[in-house]
Amino acid sequence: MATGCPFTLDIFAEPEDRSGDTGAQFDFPLMPEGQAFDMGHAPDGRPLFDPRILQSAEFFRNPYPYYRILRDHYPVYHDRLHNTYYVTRYEDITRCYFDDEGFNTIPKGSSSGVLGNTQLELSGVEHRRRRNLYGQHLVGQSLKNRIPAIQRQAREMIGAWDGINDTAVVSESDGVRTVELGMAFANEFPIRVVCEVLGFPKEAQDDFYYWYNSMMSGLGGSETHQQGLEARQHLEDYVEGIVEARRKQPTYLYDEAGDPISKDIISKLSETNLDVDYLSTEEITSNIALVVGGGGETTRGAILNMWYLLLLHPEQFEAVRNDDSLWDAAFHETLRHSSSIGGQPRHNTYDVVMHGVKVPAGSLMEMVDFSANHDERVFKDPEMLTIFRDDLSTGKILRSGYNKNGRRNHMAFGVGPHLCPGAWISHQEAVEGSRILLKHLKNPRINVERMAKDIDGVGLRPLGIVSVRELHLDYDLP
Amino acid sequence: MTVIGANGVAIPEGTHGDAGFRTYEVFQRERVGQSTAKIKPAQLVSREFADNPYPLLAVLRENYPCYRDWLNNCFWITRYNDVTSVFTDDANFETRSKAWHLGIEGFGTDLRAALPVLTAQANAWDLNIRRLAEAAVADFAPRGEADLATEFAARLNMQLWLAMLDVTEEDAPLIAALLWRLHRGVSWDPRICLDGIAAAEELAACLAPLLDARRSVPGGDLISAVAGLELADGPAEPKDLVATLLEMDFETLHGALANLWLALLNDPEGFEKVCADRRYVKLAVLETFRHSTPVLAAPRFARHEVERFGRLIPKGGLLLCSAAAANRDPRIFADPDRFIAGRKDVCHREARGQYRADGLAMGMTPGLGSPTAHPAVPEDRPRSLYALTRDTLVTASNTLLEAVDQIALADGVERPRAVCRRLGEMHTCWRLPVRFRIR
Repeated sequence: MATGCPFTLDIFAEPEDRSGDTGAQFDFPLMPEGQAFDMGHAPDGRPLFDPRILQSAEFFRNPYPYYRILRDHYPVYHDRLHNTYYVTRYEDITRCYFDDEGFNTIPKGSSSGVLGNTQLELSGVEHRRRRNLYGQHLVGQSLKNRIPAIQRQAREMIGAWDGINDTAVVSESDGVRTVELGMAFANEFPIRVVCEVLGFPKEAQDDFYYWYNSMMSGLGGSETHQQGLEARQHLEDYVEGIVEARRKQPTYLYDEAGDPISKDIISKLSETNLDVDYLSTEEITSNIALVVGGGGETTRGAILNMWYLLLLHPEQFEAVRNDDSLWDAAFHETLRHSSSIGGQPRHNTYDVVMHGVKVPAGSLMEMVDFSANHDERVFKDPEMLTIFRDDLSTGKILRSGYNKNGRRNHMAFGVGPHLCPGAWISHQEAVEGSRILLKHLKNPRINVERMAKDIDGVGLRPLGIVSVRELHLDYDLP
Repeated sequence: MTVIGANGVAIPEGTHGDAGFRTYEVFQRERVGQSTAKIKPAQLVSREFADNPYPLLAVLRENYPCYRDWLNNCFWITRYNDVTSVFTDDANFETRSKAWHLGIEGFGTDLRAALPVLTAQANAWDLNIRRLAEAAVADFAPRGEADLATEFAARLNMQLWLAMLDVTEEDAPLIAALLWRLHRGVSWDPRICLDGIAAAEELAACLAPLLDARRSVPGGDLISAVAGLELADGPAEPKDLVATLLEMDFETLHGALANLWLALLNDPEGFEKVCADRRYVKLAVLETFRHSTPVLAAPRFARHEVERFGRLIPKGGLLLCSAAAANRDPRIFADPDRFIAGRKDVCHREARGQYRADGLAMGMTPGLGSPTAHPAVPEDRPRSLYALTRDTLVTASNTLLEAVDQIALADGVERPRAVCRRLGEMHTCWRLPVRFRIR
């Protein structure tokens, strides 16, 4: 201590070890799957939650033990670094989703930067009117009529494998064929279906797939953001011509027998008079972009995750093989266990207090669907995949959710007014596509050698909060 | 009538009538050519940013003056005129207290605006700065070397605070440590934040006997000033005292003194000018406020939806008003990255408005608040915190210059620089080893 100074200057020294500290991109160690890194403890024994974990590689591959900390100890967690409140319990999220006046959908997310303004930004009657414009094509009899077309698309794509000459996608050796199911099927299949339902000419499908990929990778201010914006512009330029044509001459969707089912979505949007005016090309493009975004990535992830998880659980795969009706349960359990959509942002319209946390009006409240799906208050042994679970609803997807006989719906599609309008068609695509795949794939198994590995370099990489990017399957040729 | 929302949450009376459902928030879609690809939000919370934020802030200021940061859920405001326009706009943008940021809103009443409190601080600093600066210099001068960041800047700031509270030498070590933990606790890091909250409780317990004692026998210090205040529900409590200390600026004096000397020692020509003509010490201080403010930014929250800077800012939206970026705005200051003591385009007088006077702008230091709320300082009020801090820095620096000669950066050590030790903390030079000769 300096002679004239009544305190030690050591108090100004940096007390923490800063090794690995790169700002918010802290270099958290990768933990065994299911175990959380120890972020310290509060004096009352509660585990601490460092918000930097949310940006870490560790979290992306191993999120669930961290969500458990939030659910158990911070059901409304104020992340001061990212200016966000995270809501992580199933019941809380459900209540917020149903109250779309108190918890508004004004997004502070990044998707609209590329996609444009969509009904995601709307609530109440405005939202409902726009959602119904195309929602009606994706549900009920209209959807049922589309199933043959979905099956046809799947058969066409799988049938084309014989002609593919790209070893990264399809290869053969000693009577065994190896396919990368993403590139060979799941990536493009939902886009083809969406393209058809929207009413895009077949010759535009390749462009459409490129626009889709560019827009998806350009979300969120990423390095490919500019490419995403350009793709959105190209899409709009293209749509403009189509819309003008459809305003004069609408086109129709047809069933297998060649009978018209209804006008396609673009035709419907083109003639729609909403709020005493016609939709602009810009609005129509934004809605198309949303349908594409919502209908592509999520269904792709559902198909890949479902096959991946079932093949990791051979007894459940065997059960599905023996009972075709179990595909529904497999689909829903996959989405509960590992969905492609992590959550939805909401703004609280008014000051609220939840679990003792005061949330000022206008705050960003992130409803974490991933966490709700793993809430042990609702789902027993939530980290376990079992298509036979008795606490999950696997029947009809309802906007009201489902809470009968102890069964709850998973949160991958949300609940309430903003329940994903593509939920039903996504379900049909994944299930019908899988049924056709199963017929084609004899003795399918994961080609472990080609799959991404975990930190030990041996085991398979956990799904984490992203879906399987590549799924390499071996199957026996007839 | 209280309205209960569907989620069971009570909706305050009078707010639900005109709210209801929202239409489009913002025409948020970006256009080709408007892409914000020159920066990624992760860079704004990176170690690179914490070390030297200025290059990244320049990218924002020159390309995206109201940058929507999706990752960190805020809007970055980086041009001088834009930042001041938010600072002056209390009708549309609110300042949330440090207690709110620390998570202890309602801990106590912030009494900073009370005249006895203002006076106690100004008197303590004015009366003690020369004595304390001389003592600090006397401690390290015989060695012919010192670390000006800790032995001078950090120490002086803390000693002024202890003098302001008039604590005994016996109490000083504990109170100094608690004050440091308290102010450092305003952080996104839960460990540091919890430590700050614990420090608030401990400090309240520690200061309680002093508050009681001074209520009986008041002095001229800040604790006595608080002790003499009557609040709506009775006399001020220890928690009110701590709440007041928490809201006071703790960083600028410490950080700016270190940054001032860092800048001077890196600019031999300018330093010579300052040594030759002490009038320049004040100008160097003002230039430090502009060139290297320790408090980089100030958060403001939109009270309601408001259209500004070509964007619709939603209610509750966070505007991160970057003083650091604004202070280097080439639209306002020529050659803004250069430290020039006595530069012609910075205001040399105390501002008469938001950081402006004589038609010139001045360096923004968010920790010090507005330069003055009372342009023509009334006789019964002390001068602004901006002016008080400026004068204290001038006195401290003059004391050092009078005592020693030939000050230079120490040889053989890593070149000192200003950094944020952790994201969001003050940006200052934490180590400044120098050598000198005693006069």
